[in-house]
Amino acid sequence: MKDLLRIKSLISSDIEALLNQQVKKEAFSSSVYLAMASWCNRNGYDFSSEYFFKQAEEERHHQLKFYKYILDMGGNAVSPEITGIKQEYNSFREVFEEALDQEISVTNSIKNIYARCMKEQDFITMEFLNWFLKEQREEEYKARRALELFEVIGEEGTGRWQIDKHVGQIKYDSEA
Amino acid sequence: MIATTELTLWTDVFSTKTGAVYQCDAERCWYVDFAGKVARFDHRNFLKLRKAVYAIDIEEKLLNTTTDPDVEIIFICACDHCYVLSLAQIINLKELLEGTFVMLELNHIIHDRLFSNSL
Repeated sequence: MKDLLRIKSLISSDIEALLNQQVKKEAFSSSVYLAMASWCNRNGYDFSSEYFFKQAEEERHHQLKFYKYILDMGGNAVSPEITGIKQEYNSFREVFEEALDQEISVTNSIKNIYARCMKEQDFITMEFLNWFLKEQREEEYKARRALELFEVIGEEGTGRWQIDKHVGQIKYDSEA
Repeated sequence: MIATTELTLWTDVFSTKTGAVYQCDAERCWYVDFAGKVARFDHRNFLKLRKAVYAIDIEEKLLNTTTDPDVEIIFICACDHCYVLSLAQIINLKELLEGTFVMLELNHIIHDRLFSNSL
């Protein structure tokens, strides 16, 4: 008896489900960052708003990368339904705290898929995920650095104005 | 009743008292003999059938006290077949599909371990 499921698809249905979950997670992240960009813009933090617009764009790009991978491997990519996006924040700092939480959650989720791939010996998906693992290094660094600015600069006086200005300059260019 | 000539081309994947699933390598599809008919499913539709059946919350249906008849319509988009099943039949179909996918998984492991390594 031929292995028909394998002929049609390179990834197992479990991996496919996890990847689809990740598509949703990336789409959710993109929407969260968009809401953050809006909040920052409304409250006069223009550089941070721009920073979150860029982040939203990146997350959307990640979503499409997962989406196309599932299709290329013969799976069924599911366009996700995104609801429950928080639109209001109590403070400028809270926005960045939640951005870091969001990135940590994405990293954990990718680690989880990677662990499952190791169990199944799905080296092809593992190789695909390597790009994301590296990307998460940058994402978490940027989110952590933004929060660090609150400590280093402080929020008193023109502190928030300074923080906003520096958020726009955060870069991660480690080649390692 | 399935003709014997057809049966020789089909491999028995899994069967229960209420139904059976056969695989046809030549046509790269599966035949599901259930609820009085033999329906042909290609790869995509077979997975969609599994998803549709697994998604039915049997416990919720058992506890449901409304006067609706205990009948579920399983319709798969872009597929010629549709099932109208009672609660007991849904349980039977779920059992049949679960067993089938375990067997297909087992077949995959065998291919993976034996045939790929021998090349």
